[in-house]
Amino acid sequence: MKKNIRATALALGLTFSLTSFASLAASLSVWAVDEPDNYTEKMAREFVKLHPDVQLTVRKVGFSALNDEAMRAVMSGNGPDVIPVDNPNTAMFAARNALLDLTPYLAKSKVIDVKQIFPGPLKNASWNGKVYAIPRGANTLALYYNEDQFKAAGLDPNKPPQTWDELYSYAKKLTNPAKNVYGLAFSAVGDEEGVFQFLPFIQATGADWDKLNNPGAARAAAFWQKLLDDKLASPDTLSHRQSEAAATFINGNAAMDINGPWELPAVEKGAKFKWRVALLPTEKAGGVRASALGEQSHAILRTAKNPQTAFEFLEYMYSQRNRNWNEFGMLPPSKDTVTSNPKWPDAYKTFNEQMQYARPRGPNPEWPKVSKAISTAVQSVLTHQAKPEQAMNTAYQTVQSIKK
Amino acid sequence: MKKFLSHFEQRSGFEIALAVFALLYLLVFAGLPLLYNIMLSFQQVDLMEPATLLRPFAGLANYRDIFSRPEMHQVLINTLLFVGLSLTFQVVIGFLLALLFAQDFPLASFMRGLFLAGWIMPGLVVGVIWKLLFAGDFGVLNHLLLTSGLMHERIFWLSDPSYSLYAVIIANVWLGVPFNMLLLSVGIAAIPADLYEAAELDGANAFQRFFGITLPMMKATLGAVISLGAIMTMQQFDLIAALTQGGPANSSQVAQYWSWQLSFQTFEVSAGSAVATLMLVLVLVIAVFYVRSTRSERMV
Amino acid sequence: MKRYVLFVIALIVTAVYLFPLYWMYITVFKSAAEMFQTPPTFWPAHGESHIWQVFTERGMGKFLWNSFIIACGTTAVTVFVGTGAAYALASVQNRWTAFAIFAVLVLQALPSSLMVTPIFTAFKGLGLLETPRLAVVIAQITKTLPFYIVLCRASFVQIPRELRDAALVDGASPSRAFFGVILPLAVNGILVTAILVFLQSFGEYVYARSLILDDQYQTATVGLSAFIGATKIDWIGIMTYSAVFVTPILIAFMLLQRRIVAGLTAGALK
Repeated sequence: MKKNIRATALALGLTFSLTSFASLAASLSVWAVDEPDNYTEKMAREFVKLHPDVQLTVRKVGFSALNDEAMRAVMSGNGPDVIPVDNPNTAMFAARNALLDLTPYLAKSKVIDVKQIFPGPLKNASWNGKVYAIPRGANTLALYYNEDQFKAAGLDPNKPPQTWDELYSYAKKLTNPAKNVYGLAFSAVGDEEGVFQFLPFIQATGADWDKLNNPGAARAAAFWQKLLDDKLASPDTLSHRQSEAAATFINGNAAMDINGPWELPAVEKGAKFKWRVALLPTEKAGGVRASALGEQSHAILRTAKNPQTAFEFLEYMYSQRNRNWNEFGMLPPSKDTVTSNPKWPDAYKTFNEQMQYARPRGPNPEWPKVSKAISTAVQSVLTHQAKPEQAMNTAYQTVQSIKK
Repeated sequence: MKKFLSHFEQRSGFEIALAVFALLYLLVFAGLPLLYNIMLSFQQVDLMEPATLLRPFAGLANYRDIFSRPEMHQVLINTLLFVGLSLTFQVVIGFLLALLFAQDFPLASFMRGLFLAGWIMPGLVVGVIWKLLFAGDFGVLNHLLLTSGLMHERIFWLSDPSYSLYAVIIANVWLGVPFNMLLLSVGIAAIPADLYEAAELDGANAFQRFFGITLPMMKATLGAVISLGAIMTMQQFDLIAALTQGGPANSSQVAQYWSWQLSFQTFEVSAGSAVATLMLVLVLVIAVFYVRSTRSERMV
Repeated sequence: MKRYVLFVIALIVTAVYLFPLYWMYITVFKSAAEMFQTPPTFWPAHGESHIWQVFTERGMGKFLWNSFIIACGTTAVTVFVGTGAAYALASVQNRWTAFAIFAVLVLQALPSSLMVTPIFTAFKGLGLLETPRLAVVIAQITKTLPFYIVLCRASFVQIPRELRDAALVDGASPSRAFFGVILPLAVNGILVTAILVFLQSFGEYVYARSLILDDQYQTATVGLSAFIGATKIDWIGIMTYSAVFVTPILIAFMLLQRRIVAGLTAGALK
């Protein structure tokens, strides 16, 4: 209760400090990746209510078109003020001098305290020691599982799989071709989403995106290959996006699912069974924990006409982070975020714990190339076109040449 | 310019005026961007630099780069398969349908009208629908093939590298059939009926009539449909984006999608433009073929 | 008898062809769970749908209007500019027209997705991005015009040349001969091609996505991509949206097909 009052007071204080900036008379153009929850539009509407003299227009850009639209905007100098950036791509835009360095603004900001932002999201928002974007939240991956199917297979729902071996044997027990049930669902689709899902596995072995020559990377790829070869996960894992993997879980066609918190509302609405969320298994008992770190950040283009107003909009969105979990299915980006009465308290706890092991992708200004190299390697292993060691070594060479 | 004009008969002045405007329009709005793309393929492009025409000259380096990539070989074969098979099936199915609907039976033109549905649908939507149909576990195509006993094991159309390209081709054929059928219908309808009557009197059977009259009379239409179909197939993009994105492991990768991925996903704009320029060469070949085929034809 | 055998064959072929369309429509009425169910259901179990919700929440009315305007504009200009060019390229035959046909084909060689960057930059310089729908029309015509010219040319080629020459001998000007004699004979080909152009422009995606920076002028196809988020994809929403997008045109064609498609056979030259 006390916490609640403090949170309200904090929120009110923020509102006041924002309204006190009074006249900002300016126009602001903002791009948004339009998701079902309409995050940016809601934020824009609230911001305009506080600053009636700001003319704010939101343009929706499809997620898949975001990079290429942003690039055109930068090239032609005809860009908006604020763009969303998928967090591994901040370095790419920043290194090419497309984004406004926010460091001086942050030094003066009363709303955003950089030191409070979790190190992972902050690293993904920075380049060369300068901050170029403000994370709107964070997300990570964990293991959803179907309690009812656990029981039916004679597994204890209180003991989710802890290691890869357990994940494999659990999946094997849960797989039931007669009923069209796979043990596990995840996504190995050939783009950033598949890489996002794969990285935690190689990181759990001590390898990483820039250490693919570490034998662990090949072990991780071989593990995925085994899951698919033994039909414990659908062969369509290669073309399923994460949302499709979640749909098979929700529908009872997969007993476990590696997915993020954004699926919680859909799982709650659709699942006709008891479900829980557990930490991702480690390679060996007591091994390294790792998970992915995702979510979009907001950046200001260097060509923005009203950087000050744009920054205040960023501040406003950040100031609303207490609502992240309950309203938008995002995890807090910072230590000082207070989520009162979190929905799905158990899942909230698990995802927050998992968040501590979440690692940023990159940063590298050529991240899309790195990502492509990794996803090509993974897919060629899963389709048996290359041996795990060989594929990972090729990817390693590619990443090395990109890093130079 | 005078020399240029003197090539025409005096009487054709009106026709020339009609053509010149269209050509100028295309030269400006399509020709210049095309040139720009070709230029990029010989330059070293730094992404997000302000748009400029003068960039460091790279010679053939970008071409050497793409030819040295391991996926080049597969992309080349896939592109030829994609264009060749799509086109063959589109034209053959389209022609058969056009012949079918040219017959006299109840509701023929109504049913032909329904085929337009395939042309109305944007590639993006068609891709999404076919993705549902092709789904390995819950897809209706597998379900029908399994229950009808045509198949004993599920095919993972979009995830199995030995099927993915064909899945995309099937969807693309579906998309292209109405275009072929409709235009070939127009061609068939324009063949004077007395030709058939005369042939029938001479005792020609259906096959002889088809090869003796229908096919030769359709040459102009077929040439136009095939060359446009080839070019349209090479531009098919939304469908691939929605279905396989060239995967898994490049098994359904074709030139146009690869070029886009290079330019706008990994931002290797020079390499992407080099692929695009190579595609241009292929279109050039098709265009030469088409122009040669039109040499003999003109208003008779 | 033969008529009814043909009828049955045609019915089966049409049904098979339209199956994907059927699948789209029934998916609209399924729940997310039912959509992923195995074995699939061929008739929705509950019959829920969000058609009205999708239509209003996504502002589809405005999107469809924009698509309609762009398609009309593109078709009008294409037909206006292209018909004459097609006629010219059909009636005159020499090195220059051969080259012109060649150029027309090659100039539209690359997919829009690769042409859009230079076009965007150039249009920005020309100030065309201020009138976004016009910009899309201008860009889209570069795709539809070659298509239209090549196809219409094929229908002009089939017209006997003596008809034009006869008109000229009778003292008609070349333009009179064109409008009075040739054009009425080619009208089927023109009509069908124009319809194809209209439909193609109605479904245009790449140029609209990149050249229209103000959502107020955005087209329906681009509105569709809003269902595909970074992590979430609303399949039912996509299907519902697609159905709403396609149905009006489909109905229009059902009603008009007598005049349009049936006219193909009626207008055969004797």
